[in-house]
Amino acid sequence: MSDPAPRPLDLEALLADALRPIEPPERVSGRVETTLAKLTEAAASELSWWADELSETELQSLRDPRNWVRPIAAAAIGGAAGTALVLIEVRRRRRSEGLRGIAGELRARF
Amino acid sequence: MEEGDIQQGPAEGSPSQNGSPPVMPRAKAEVDRDFEKLYRDHLRDVYSYSYYRIGNHHDAEDLTEQTFLQAYRHFERAQRESDGRPLRPWLIRIAHNLAANYHRDKARRPTAALENVEPPQHPHGTERVVEGRERMRAVMAGLEHLSDDRREALIMRFSLGMSNREIARALGRTDGATKVLIHRSIKQLEEELEAAGAADE
Repeated sequence: MSDPAPRPLDLEALLADALRPIEPPERVSGRVETTLAKLTEAAASELSWWADELSETELQSLRDPRNWVRPIAAAAIGGAAGTALVLIEVRRRRRSEGLRGIAGELRARF
Repeated sequence: MEEGDIQQGPAEGSPSQNGSPPVMPRAKAEVDRDFEKLYRDHLRDVYSYSYYRIGNHHDAEDLTEQTFLQAYRHFERAQRESDGRPLRPWLIRIAHNLAANYHRDKARRPTAALENVEPPQHPHGTERVVEGRERMRAVMAGLEHLSDDRREALIMRFSLGMSNREIARALGRTDGATKVLIHRSIKQLEEELEAAGAADE
């Protein structure tokens, strides 16, 4: 009896067989879940610490647009005062330059 | 807690254990729920990939854990930037980078330990089973001769069942380049097996 003819190589099927997905051991999911749970708890406690720092009334007042008027007015007044100071300084410089010019002319005449 | 559950803070509207109002904002809880789904759906993928890249269960477990930790840290951004596309390639890319670091650190080649893989359940006779095992061993040996990127592409395709597009995203290549990579990987493996078969005869 002759040997049976060799079967053609179905490489893709062989690869699918050789590289079958592997079920992770239960301890892997346990490890990952424990670590993630710790991370989530840490994030939650961080958040609660932050929330504790600001009381509920403080948070509400921060969110209330009526309380935004004062900071906006303060910023506007500060800006106007700064501009006025700059203008005064510019005028002062012009005036001193003007006086220096007159003095120069008088020196030239006499 | 059920297997696969990720423990998280109290959901919105439910009191926490000490009776104080919940502190986790809804968005965060939703993100955690989405991550839990990603974790459940792809734990096996990440583990399989890690195992075939590393070659032993112990380090594959570490790599799987590290992959999900890194994924958790960057999950919100990944979700935002994914435009609704599946996140599996992103997850596998994290595992791919960690595996590359692992090999760099350990300076050793991955070995796919076939003896640790459960043998396939063959419905045929003993002769076929033995033949099948020998062929599988030959395939694994052939895989070890491939370059890293070729072996990775085959692991993603045949172990994880990823499409060309998914593999391309995981490897940071174009679809066309990935198609060529897989084609050449299979061709090289075929030649390796034929050469090994000829040598045996």
